[in-house]
Amino acid sequence: MKNKLTKEEVLHVADLARIEVTKEELEKYQVELKKLLDDVEKINEVENYDDEIMIAPWTNNTTLRSDVEGPMLDPKEVLLNAPHHTANYIAVPTVINENESEGA
Amino acid sequence: MKYLNKPIKEINKLLKDKKIKPTDLLDEVYASIEANKDLNAYITLNKEEAYKKAKELESIEVDNLLFGIPIAVKDNICTKGLRTTAASHILENFVPIYDATVVEKINEKNMIIIGKTNMDEFAMGSSSRTSYFGAPKNPWNHDKISGGSSGGSATTVAAGDVLFALGSDTGGSIRQPASYTGLVGMKPTYGRVSRYGLIAFASSLDQIGPMTNNVYNNALLLNVLSGKDNKDLTSIETDEDFTRLIGKPLKDVKVAVPNFFMSDIVSDEIREKVKETIKILEDNKIKVDYIDMKYIDKAVTLYQIIAMGEASSNLARFDGIRYGSSYENPENIYDLYVKTRSRGFGAEVKRRIMVGSYLLSGENAKIYYNKALSIRDDIAKEFDKVFEKYDYIIGPTTTTTAYNLDDPMDDPSKSFMDDVLVIPVNMAGIPGLNIPIGLSKDNMPIGMQIIAPKYEEAKIYQLASFLEEKINFGGDTNE
Repeated sequence: MKNKLTKEEVLHVADLARIEVTKEELEKYQVELKKLLDDVEKINEVENYDDEIMIAPWTNNTTLRSDVEGPMLDPKEVLLNAPHHTANYIAVPTVINENESEGA
Repeated sequence: MKYLNKPIKEINKLLKDKKIKPTDLLDEVYASIEANKDLNAYITLNKEEAYKKAKELESIEVDNLLFGIPIAVKDNICTKGLRTTAASHILENFVPIYDATVVEKINEKNMIIIGKTNMDEFAMGSSSRTSYFGAPKNPWNHDKISGGSSGGSATTVAAGDVLFALGSDTGGSIRQPASYTGLVGMKPTYGRVSRYGLIAFASSLDQIGPMTNNVYNNALLLNVLSGKDNKDLTSIETDEDFTRLIGKPLKDVKVAVPNFFMSDIVSDEIREKVKETIKILEDNKIKVDYIDMKYIDKAVTLYQIIAMGEASSNLARFDGIRYGSSYENPENIYDLYVKTRSRGFGAEVKRRIMVGSYLLSGENAKIYYNKALSIRDDIAKEFDKVFEKYDYIIGPTTTTTAYNLDDPMDDPSKSFMDDVLVIPVNMAGIPGLNIPIGLSKDNMPIGMQIIAPKYEEAKIYQLASFLEEKINFGGDTNE
């Protein structure tokens, strides 16, 4: 079994997580991520389990809260935490760029 | 120390009889925190607001045992108007605009929040060394870790700064630091305490819980924290007093010890101490059996898949747009996401969300995540099966005592393996508590875990209080 991921594999998972990897970090992650992925492979050692799944350890019946308007956050306060805002909107960089096929 | 070494009922009486004021308690708290500054237990202090509140309380009638009592809050729990960082660079300047439900509840009881405690970044870690603000130190030995992720909460209570602290426990983050610092720490049943306002790490595992230096105080604080909250639909109605069985005799009690918990992954010294504790139980006519439990040796693997997967999803919200730090002058929105996150997150967090994203992507979700959820269900059933015959499961909380702060951090699996004994409880959503049971040869605390079926926290406190009295830990860090 190989003991590290390829550089392309690291760059792929970094892209999935929206993380940038520097050249120096690349080698480190090749080893570290491989170690964690080897760990999770141990799940294949488990046999004889039933098919039922547990998404959360929570079995009580859920009831949605009634659909009535409750107290709302003040938009002014909400915007205070936004790095960029204008009027009552949060400002973001251009999302659609005609000159680019890639993007968010 | 004048007041903070007294039982809570005595402090309450002093406040009630107007012999002391809440500000007297705060004076003592902040003097102690100042003297213990080197321990790095806090990220943010709330001194000004705390004194303001204490002054206000002078004109209000003392109506409950926790009135006017100082409390420290882990820094992944939102406090309105008080900086909440989750020990991350990305939230370094984040000031929440609402209180977590648990914060509303402690405010309703007129407890006083003294500050926000240090922790592993986004609660990811087992030694609090992943904190952007540097690791807290263990009051028992300043060269050692306090554990994690609730390391700051453990540190400040163990140092005697304050009697109460809030922690959160996703894979042992209350019980493990409590064990390393000689405290009582409870991870309640999943749903017992509302998670609204807790910065999510792994939503199907996270629970907030109390950290204190005795069993009674712990149960008292859980009384305040628990209950149904319309803002967290997994929360459950609670109408019980968790202190009610404390000191009550244990009759016809049966205890199970999983062989895995006493296997050679645990240090000899800790196993010996747990055996001594088991002897105390047996001497008091409590039946203790060693049992085999399927799947629990695989809980860490399941945890890695489930917790990293959920974390990758939960932390997607930190994108530099709505709150938190943001990369200036990005080329486009993708650049904003990537640069904000790469600069904002630390190494442990990045590793976990990268692996988590991978595990949930495409076919991998079936291969890893779905299989983990299947086996998780079997672990829960295995616990149910044991609890058909036994009232409690016990065992050591940790495999070693607290290790050195400067031990290497180059093995990405280590922070998971530190929690090998505490993770199964989170998988099943059942309650577990750490109780100190003695000291190692080098004078570091050793803890034992008491586990019970869902919603049986009161029974846990009953057994814990019995052991507390018999063992008389009363550890003193000399802080």
